[in-house]
Amino acid sequence: MSEISLAQSVDIALELLGASGGVAVAESNASANLRWANSSLTTNGDMHERTLSIAAFVTATDGIGAGLASGQIRTRADIAELVARAQAAGIAGGASEDAAELFAGPVDEDFYDEPAVVDLSQLERVAGGLGHAFADDSVQFFGYAEQSADTSYVGTSAGTRIRFVQHTSRFELCAKSHERDRSSWSGQSGTTFADVDVQAHAQAVLEGLEFQKTRIDIEPGLHKVTLSSSALADLMIYLMWTASAREAAEGRSVFSATAGGTRVGERLSPRNFTVTADPHARGLETLNRVISVGTSTFASTFDTGMEIQPVDIIRDGILTALGSSRHTAEIAKLPFTPMADNIVVTDKQGHGSLRETAARMQDGLLITCLWYIREVDPQSLLLTGLTRDGVYVVRDGQIVGAANNFRFNESPVGMLNRIVDAGEAINCLPREWADWFPRARVAPVVIDGFNLSTRSDAI
Amino acid sequence: MTLIEHDLPTGLAQLALSAAADGGAEVAQFRIARHDSRGISLRDGVVENIGSDSNIALSVRVVVKGAWGFAASTDLSENSARDTVARALAMARLSARVSSDPVVLANEPAHGEQSWVLPIGDDAFAKSDDEVIALLQSWNTRVAQASIVNHVDAHTAMGRDTTFFADLNGNAITQRRDRISAQLTAIHVGENGFEDMRTCAPPAGRGFEYLTGTGWDWDAELAAIPDYLDQKVKSPSVTAGTWDLVIDPTNLWLTIHESIGHATELDRALGYEANYAGTSFATIDKLGNFKYGSPVMNVTGDRIADHGLSTVGFDDEGVAAQQWHLIKDGILTGYQTDRSIAAKVGLERSNGCAFADSATHVPIQRMPNVSLQPSDEDITTQDLISRVDRGIYIVGDKSWSIDMQRYNFQFTGQRFFEIKDGQIVGQLKDVVYQSKTPDFWGSMEAVGGKSTYLLGGALNCGKGQPGQVAPVSHGAPSALFRGINILNGRQEASA
Repeated sequence: MSEISLAQSVDIALELLGASGGVAVAESNASANLRWANSSLTTNGDMHERTLSIAAFVTATDGIGAGLASGQIRTRADIAELVARAQAAGIAGGASEDAAELFAGPVDEDFYDEPAVVDLSQLERVAGGLGHAFADDSVQFFGYAEQSADTSYVGTSAGTRIRFVQHTSRFELCAKSHERDRSSWSGQSGTTFADVDVQAHAQAVLEGLEFQKTRIDIEPGLHKVTLSSSALADLMIYLMWTASAREAAEGRSVFSATAGGTRVGERLSPRNFTVTADPHARGLETLNRVISVGTSTFASTFDTGMEIQPVDIIRDGILTALGSSRHTAEIAKLPFTPMADNIVVTDKQGHGSLRETAARMQDGLLITCLWYIREVDPQSLLLTGLTRDGVYVVRDGQIVGAANNFRFNESPVGMLNRIVDAGEAINCLPREWADWFPRARVAPVVIDGFNLSTRSDAI
Repeated sequence: MTLIEHDLPTGLAQLALSAAADGGAEVAQFRIARHDSRGISLRDGVVENIGSDSNIALSVRVVVKGAWGFAASTDLSENSARDTVARALAMARLSARVSSDPVVLANEPAHGEQSWVLPIGDDAFAKSDDEVIALLQSWNTRVAQASIVNHVDAHTAMGRDTTFFADLNGNAITQRRDRISAQLTAIHVGENGFEDMRTCAPPAGRGFEYLTGTGWDWDAELAAIPDYLDQKVKSPSVTAGTWDLVIDPTNLWLTIHESIGHATELDRALGYEANYAGTSFATIDKLGNFKYGSPVMNVTGDRIADHGLSTVGFDDEGVAAQQWHLIKDGILTGYQTDRSIAAKVGLERSNGCAFADSATHVPIQRMPNVSLQPSDEDITTQDLISRVDRGIYIVGDKSWSIDMQRYNFQFTGQRFFEIKDGQIVGQLKDVVYQSKTPDFWGSMEAVGGKSTYLLGGALNCGKGQPGQVAPVSHGAPSALFRGINILNGRQEASA
């Protein structure tokens, strides 16, 4: 790749694709990370990756087909080989159901600029902060810090040329007692480590461990709980991943109506509860154009370059939109709804911090993290998973100790009807899905009758 | 030694290792890995996605002043190799400032120049797209013609890893291994909602012959899928409570993976995954004395099983493949290790579980093939079923979840056959089984014989930060468990 820039590789691929056209996406991924355990740095990495992905459009007997190929390229011959592979796949695959005329998207002036890089000095600053934290040997620290810079060069045979840079940072700190009978976690996502205060995170996890010195056994059952922003984010992200217009229209989703069609327009929550994907959300900015090398119920390669608008999936408690490509929107008879790569969850009546929201609950459990979330029943979107790193017992509005952990069985759709209070939305790191979905601003909520199904002895 | 045709620029190794040694590295390892994959998916018989991917990168891992440093690049030029060495050295020096636990590697004899290839029959990468699509479409047609079936999803995926490893000990090891998987799901949409039924063929370290009848009877299973779906749609919902279970290896492999495989990773037990995947209840003080399960429980780790997804000649630190006991007669007797983790507990040698899913990721301790051994007696699945008065025979995997110390787990499956008085009388639905690891394995009354043994597995085992994905196999016989907690999934949702 040293001879041909990523932007040039897109131009060359589109030239080689010829009259049938297609989509070319070149990506540079630069990332650096530190990992630590038992209060000592362990593994680390400084990685540079470059990839070219091609969707080749071909004329099949009954329409337009699309074939995909991706890999590293260094020379024009490498690009030609990728294009040939993609075209051959397209011919074999036959006509694509989602074939449509490409949209002439924007042409960015900075398209030929170099990819973004990671500033390692930020990582050094984090390492310095950790050294300070590790000096406290009353507990042991574990965690992870990663800074990445992803640069995408998107070209289509309709003329689109997009260059987009996504900076992402992620910091996680876990503290455990030496006896391993207490465990607490704090996390933060953003675009830079500049605003990561390692000492503040250390204080937060130490405070959690302090609360956990008082252990109160709580039996499984239906409990009133306050879910932290991170915990609710993990549940709402799963809801968003399930909010497919096509799956709902074909009767294969929790969002399918019993009598056929979808549940769009149905009230899911009595509150002014809103779930939004907004590419312009402050602090969570992400690309506002479709990039898709491949087809799913949510996206089509033929839509590459089209604009992504802010979308309320749930607005003021009512299901208002389901994600789609142009093709799947037509099947579902719903508006074309591409979705941005972030989530904002708010409640109009929500106010106050997590701690204040939990205090208003009066009596119940404050759940800080959820883990190992998996689908049990797609019909109800029943999810299971665990509480982790801090379930706090709230009595008379005060945290009085920590409970054991639980396995939950809950539907993120069904529980919306049982939200009774909420706090103010804050930027948060979804503990479970951070690898795939780090951009979230979510309110903490209080839920009645949350199904903490069985006890977990894990710490 | 098998000759492997490849285009890896292995000549960069000497340059990189020399530069690392000159830069002060006490340990230096150089890897190049190429990963080829193909995938084709059909939705209701129409090709939805068809494509291929080929990724190649180099990496350098060093130890300087007792600390790891790792860097990688997809640029395979000499300049890039030098730059990658420099970046790895810099990361090690940065890490050394805040590391209080120096890296020590368990000894491993040098193996010199080696090459190893996973044996396969029919090269899947040599098959034309047309041939693969035609096969998937024939599967689709066979299932879709049943009136109970409203939709059919089908897909196949093929992978090939070609890797080269060299270090300052004189190792120069080239390896290649293939894997293949395919699944078909039939969906019914009716007045009472939707139900689905999926094939149970596990991914395997095989070639295209796997999709045409070697190692799995596709014809028989595809023929049965519509009937299984029909039975499920019409079946009663399970009554929550305590049931005896006969679990088929198509389901039990996943329970083994989660409750034994991850629990016996020594890095987890020592806290190295604590922030992310979690720790393990099977801590080092329990080695040799902890009753993991009943006396019929014997579990091995290996990297040598025929067609195993974790099978290799050498691991990603140059350790030769081995087989060992993790649990013997129900007692915890071993762990999975890489060289640095083995050294932390004084083991003389790693058992060869270092793995990185690409050259851009650092090798960490990953799961070998972890398998429950069958009985020496010729016990059939029907024999086990005949011993149950009221129970469920569970086939095929579906939903899974386990806590961060590998205690509390909950699984579902594809098909749940009700057992009454030793006979299968029909299907049940909404079955969820939940238990605590030592209780569950302690309730295992019997395991089937070799005739019931099957190598299951997955392509998507996740671990580490940054996240890595590993393929892994798990062999199991059918097995009988007494008194397991069954939840009703439908009732859990409306609790």
